[in-house]
Amino acid sequence: MALLVLTSIILVTLDLQGSAATKSLRSVFGAVFRPIESVARVVTRPATNAWFGITHYNDVTAENELLREKIAQQEGAAVAAAASVRLSQELLALNGLPTLAGINSVSAQVIGDSPSNFVQSVEIDQGTESGIKVGMPVLNAAGLVGKITQVFANRAVVMLITDPQYALSVKIINAPKTTTTTVPNQDPGSTVVSVPETIDPQITVPTVPATSNIPGFTPGTTAAPRTPIISSSLTIPPGSNISVRETGILEGRGVGRVPTVRFVDAAQRFGVVQTGSPIVTAGGSLSLAPPDIVVGTVSRVKERLGTAGPLLEIDIVADLSNLSFVRILLYQPITERTAP
Amino acid sequence: MGSRWTRLVLVSLILLGIQTTVFNDMRPFNVMIPVMLLFAVSAGTLYGSEIGAIAGLIIGVMYDCVLSTPLGLASLVFGAAAYAAGLLPFFVREPTWWTRAITIGIVGAVGELAFPLAQSMVGLSGQFQPHVAGVFAFVIVVGMLVAPLLLPVCRWTLKESIVG
Repeated sequence: MALLVLTSIILVTLDLQGSAATKSLRSVFGAVFRPIESVARVVTRPATNAWFGITHYNDVTAENELLREKIAQQEGAAVAAAASVRLSQELLALNGLPTLAGINSVSAQVIGDSPSNFVQSVEIDQGTESGIKVGMPVLNAAGLVGKITQVFANRAVVMLITDPQYALSVKIINAPKTTTTTVPNQDPGSTVVSVPETIDPQITVPTVPATSNIPGFTPGTTAAPRTPIISSSLTIPPGSNISVRETGILEGRGVGRVPTVRFVDAAQRFGVVQTGSPIVTAGGSLSLAPPDIVVGTVSRVKERLGTAGPLLEIDIVADLSNLSFVRILLYQPITERTAP
Repeated sequence: MGSRWTRLVLVSLILLGIQTTVFNDMRPFNVMIPVMLLFAVSAGTLYGSEIGAIAGLIIGVMYDCVLSTPLGLASLVFGAAAYAAGLLPFFVREPTWWTRAITIGIVGAVGELAFPLAQSMVGLSGQFQPHVAGVFAFVIVVGMLVAPLLLPVCRWTLKESIVG
């Protein structure tokens, strides 16, 4: 028993020190085991398919119907979104700012999950031969999936963002809350205006009519009979309809639990975090992921006392339980790049 | 066919193939059936603590090679679990197949719980969640159910060779 413990501790120590011997052992074992696993996969596929057929049939049918409906809804929106993304990327490129489109990527197929109840990782079929390095971000069509934690010649291990060891700097894009205000003495059909709730008291819209140098013309008026000028106390800050951003740290929490974002500064300008606000990667010279990769949306806000700030629970946009193909961004932060 | 250890490596490779494919996909109640661990524990119940610990170490190292956790962690847990299972004759004078099955279920579940504990010992914390209670209960039941299948395989694998 003592020998067993000693051997195991030596192995753990060597591996944690990044020993080449343990890496070689894993690599050789992977090469030997891969064909056996492939054969096992082929042989057991009927059993697996039968299992999924029994346990997931109703879910798949319902999901299929839902997806058809969603596709129909999103087809139109996708065209507009693609145009917006393109415009945004052009604008960023014009200003010399980094964009995701400017980062090379490698597509890979997911070839296995972690065979454990306590590790959230998947294995992909691309490795160092494709330029993949430890730390690179992994995405799928929906958004961020995780990061590379181990790389071999033609395979790599991806730690999912639900793993408790995963942490990443993110931004919460908090759209300003709008309220509806009805101005009296006006036509009911045209008096509803939406203004942001976050109002800067320093800037006030003038309540006196504007003037013009053109004789007989007053801006903002029409040929219709003049209505009395309503003295309004509404104040509208410039650009207040632009989304407000705040950073925090996203952390995985393990199987069956959604990741959380903490260290969100409860700044006055940022306002109250709203459910549904998008979460994207923050980027930065030390971050392992470039900015603006979609991670998810805020599903729940847990207020905390003191200066701790709110704790946000996140709905991840990528379906981690059903990964088939992923994209690895060949991105390294400036601090990780070695001089040629 | 070779020594018991050669057979153990070959059988474990096949079991690992099954573990990483079919049992990895089929997760009743969102829990994976830890066949490799149960096999190591079976070795302990059949052949005692010493053989069990060595078998657990070998099976664990192989399992470690497909996990992303530090090498040696699963071997420590599997070896310790198999060693503990090998203490069965101290409690039951002549173990029957069903006492072995119960032992495999209980010790397997404890071993499965010991894995996140071992992870936290090397700094990989955060795995102790309400989920582990479900895993524990599930592995007890499944361990007892698959034990009648694992025991003959393990008996054949680790039987004493006539030569060598």
